Amino acid sequence: MPAAPTARAPRLVVRVLTFAFSVIACVLAAVFVLLSWQTRAGVMRAVADTIETSQQHFAGIERQRQREQLLQARGLAEAPTLKAAVDTYHSERDSGFPVDQLLSTIESELRKLQDWMDLPALSIAGTDGVILASAGPEAGHWPAGSRVRTDFDETGDPVDSIVERRDRVYRATSVPMTLGLDVIGQFVLASPLDDAYARALAADAGADVVIVMAGRVIGSSTSGELRDAIERVALPVSGTVTLDGGEFVVQRLSAVDAAAVYAVGSVTTASREATSEVAFVLIVAGGFALLFAAAGSWWLARTVAGPINRLTTSLAHMAQAGELTQPLPRTGGSRELDSLAGTFDELRTAIARAEAESEATYLGVISTLANALDARDPYTAGHSQRVADLSVSLGRELRLSGTDLETLRVGALLHDIGKIGVSDVVLRKASALTAEEYEQIKLHPSLGARILKPLRFFEAQLAIVELHHERPDGRGYPYGLRGDDIPLFARIVHVADAFDAMTSARAYRNAMPVETAVAELRRVVGEDFDAGVVAAMLRLPVVTRGSRAGAGERDGDRSLSLVTFPRLDAGTAEGAWDDTGEADAGLRRAR
Amino acid sequence: MGNARVVAAASAVFTAILCTVPWTVLRAGAAQEGTGPGLGTIRGTVRVETRSARRLATAGVYPGRAVVLAAERDTSELDNVVVFVELSDPVASAPRRAVIRQSQEEFVPHLVAVTTGSTVEFPNDDLIFHNVFSLSRAATFDLGRYPRDESRQETFREPGIVKVFCHLHSHMSAIVRVFDHPYFVIPDRDGRFSIPDVPAGTHRVTAWHERAGNVTHDVRLTGGGSAALTFSLPLADD
Repeated sequence: MPAAPTARAPRLVVRVLTFAFSVIACVLAAVFVLLSWQTRAGVMRAVADTIETSQQHFAGIERQRQREQLLQARGLAEAPTLKAAVDTYHSERDSGFPVDQLLSTIESELRKLQDWMDLPALSIAGTDGVILASAGPEAGHWPAGSRVRTDFDETGDPVDSIVERRDRVYRATSVPMTLGLDVIGQFVLASPLDDAYARALAADAGADVVIVMAGRVIGSSTSGELRDAIERVALPVSGTVTLDGGEFVVQRLSAVDAAAVYAVGSVTTASREATSEVAFVLIVAGGFALLFAAAGSWWLARTVAGPINRLTTSLAHMAQAGELTQPLPRTGGSRELDSLAGTFDELRTAIARAEAESEATYLGVISTLANALDARDPYTAGHSQRVADLSVSLGRELRLSGTDLETLRVGALLHDIGKIGVSDVVLRKASALTAEEYEQIKLHPSLGARILKPLRFFEAQLAIVELHHERPDGRGYPYGLRGDDIPLFARIVHVADAFDAMTSARAYRNAMPVETAVAELRRVVGEDFDAGVVAAMLRLPVVTRGSRAGAGERDGDRSLSLVTFPRLDAGTAEGAWDDTGEADAGLRRAR
Repeated sequence: MGNARVVAAASAVFTAILCTVPWTVLRAGAAQEGTGPGLGTIRGTVRVETRSARRLATAGVYPGRAVVLAAERDTSELDNVVVFVELSDPVASAPRRAVIRQSQEEFVPHLVAVTTGSTVEFPNDDLIFHNVFSLSRAATFDLGRYPRDESRQETFREPGIVKVFCHLHSHMSAIVRVFDHPYFVIPDRDGRFSIPDVPAGTHRVTAWHERAGNVTHDVRLTGGGSAALTFSLPLADD
C-alpha cells in the first residue's frame, strides 16, 4: 500500500477491518450463544420426552415380562414329575415313611428346571411353607427347612413378594402347586434385587435402574453418588427430578410390597451428546460466518481505504513534483471522496493563484530595489540590469541550469543593493576616494546581505550579494576568501560587475572600449578574476564582436523589461570606467 | 438282640387274644349277623363336605379334541374315600383286579383299593397318549406312554398308598391303596359302607381321604354281629 503508515495512527484499512469484523463477530457470538442456549433447552426437552416415552414403553414391557414370568412360574410348577414327587412326598411323610429319596427327586427335578431356565433361585415348599428343596446359584439363601410365606390369595394365582433373606432382598414369585383342587405345595422363583439385577434391567431399559426399598437403594446400575442422591429424595412414579444437580427422568417400572424398581435417565447426559452435535454444527457455521465476515470486512475496508489511498498517492506525487497544475483524479470511490478531491482542487487553484501573485510581488520587490539603487546615480543607471544580463550570459556559457540562471540573474540584479546604505557623497564623488571613503564603499556587500537576509525568498542570492567582491587571490572583501571557496555565482557576478563598470562611463572618466576592458581582465585573471569565468567572458559575442555598444542592446530587454533606464552612450562616458565597484576602487587608486 | 423283644411282643399279643376272645364271641353272638362264626360286619356311613364340582387346574391341552371337564362329570368325593380296618398283621387274601381308566384326562376312578398281589389295569380311553407312573415307596413304576385302546397293568405287592400320575398331564392323579388284608371298602354314593367277615374283636377302623387324612374310630365287633360307625370327614371347601 502506498499510503505511508505512521507510527501512531493505525491504517484505515486495519481500523475498518477491525471494527467491522468485531461487530460481526460480536453479533455472531451473541447469535451463537442464544442459539446454543435455545437448542440446549430444546434438546433437553426432547431428550426428556424421549427418555420418558421409552421408559414408559419399557415399564410396560417390564410389567408384561413380570406377568409372563409369573405365568411361566405357573407353567414350571406344573412339571409332572415334580408334582408327583411333591404329592407323593406328602403322602409318604404323612404315612411316616422315609422321604429322602423323594426329596432328592424333587431337588433333581428342580435342578433340571433351573438348567433350562437359568434362574437365580428355584424353591419348592410344602403346604406348610417349609422349603423342601432349592436349586440355582442363590439356593444357599433358600435352604431346605427354612420357611416361605403361605398367605396366598383365594384365586390360586401367582403372588409377587419381596423377601429379605440373610441381608439379601429377593423378589419372589410364589405359585401354589395344585393337584386337582388340592394345594400340594409352593413353587418359588426368586431373583435377588441387587446391582446385577439392576444392571441387567438397565441394559434393556437403556437407562439406569435403581431398586429402592423403604427409601434405601438396594440395587442400582448407577454410580455411588447418584445412589446417595436418590436416597435423599422421594422418587416420583413418573416425572423429572433433580439429582446431584442434574436433571433426571424417572419412571417406576414396578413396585412390589415396599420395593420399587425405577428407571432413571439423565437428561443432562443424554442431551450433552445432542447438544455437542448441535454445537459442532453451530461452530462450523460460525467459523464460516466469521470467515465471510472477515472477507466482507476486508472488502469493506478496501472499498473505503482504497480510494483514499489513491487520493493520497496522487497528492504525494503532486507534492513531490511541486506540480499544482494538474487537477486531482477522481477516485470514484465515494461522493464524499470526490467532493474532497474537488475541494482540494479548488484549494490547489487558489494556492497556484496565490503563488503567482507572490511571484509577481517578488519580482516587483526586486525591480523596486534595483530601480531604487540605480536611481541614485545617473551614471550607474542600468548597471544592475546590465550586470544581470551579462551574468546570465556567462552562466549560460558555463552551462548552468535554468533555476541557477534565474538565481544568478536576481542575485546580479541585487548585487549592489547594499549601496543604499552608502552615503551619496561617497557614492557620487567624482574624484578619487580617500581611504576612509573607500572603507565605506567596501561595506556595501555586507550591508546588502543584511538588507536581504529577512527576505526568505532571496536566500539563494545572499551569497552573491555578500561575496561578489571576493577575489581568487584572497585580496577581496569582506572575508578575503580564496579560489573555489568563493561561490561560482559570486565569481560570475564579480567579473560581470567589473566588465560593466569598465565599459560604462563615469563622472570621472569615459567608458573604456571593450578591447581595453578585455585586456584589463586578461591582465589580472587568476588574481582579481576567476579564470574559468573570464574564459567564458572571452567567448561571449559581446567580447568577440568587440563592440561595447552591442553590449547594451544585446539582451537588455530580456526578462527585466521593467528596468529600462536610459542608457548612457558609450561615447559620453568615455574615459571613466571606474565606479563604486570593487575592482574599480583598486583600479582607481592604482591609476 | 431281637429275641427277647419278639418273645415279649408275642406273649403280649397272646395274652390280649386270650382276654378278648370270650368277649368278642359274646358280642358277635348277640348281633346274630355274622356270616360265619367269629366274624362280624362293620357298616356305617361316611359323610364328607362334598363340593358341587371338581375343577381342573388346567384346561384341555387339545382344543380340537375337547375333553369333558371334570366339572361336568358325575363325581363324588365319597368315591375318594376308603374305609378300612387297621390290622397289625397281614391277612392273606385273594388278589383282585381293578381298573383305572384314563378318560377325559382323568384317572377314573381316582381311587382304587386292592389287596396285595392285585393287579390294576390302566386302559387309555382318550384320543391322546397317556402315561402312568408312581414314585411311591409301595410301588415305584413307570408304565410308559401309550395310545388309545392300549392298556398297561401293574401288580401291587406292597401295602401302602401308591400315588399314580401321568407324565404327560400334570393334573392327572390317581391313588391305589394296597392293603395286606381284605377288610376295606369304598363307600357307595350315599356314603354307606359295609365290611363283612371281619374277625370279631376290637378294631381301629379308619376312613381315609387324601385331603382329609385319617378319621379313626375304635369298634368292638362280636362274632356274627355287626358294628355301626359314622365317619365325618372334615373336607374344607378350600
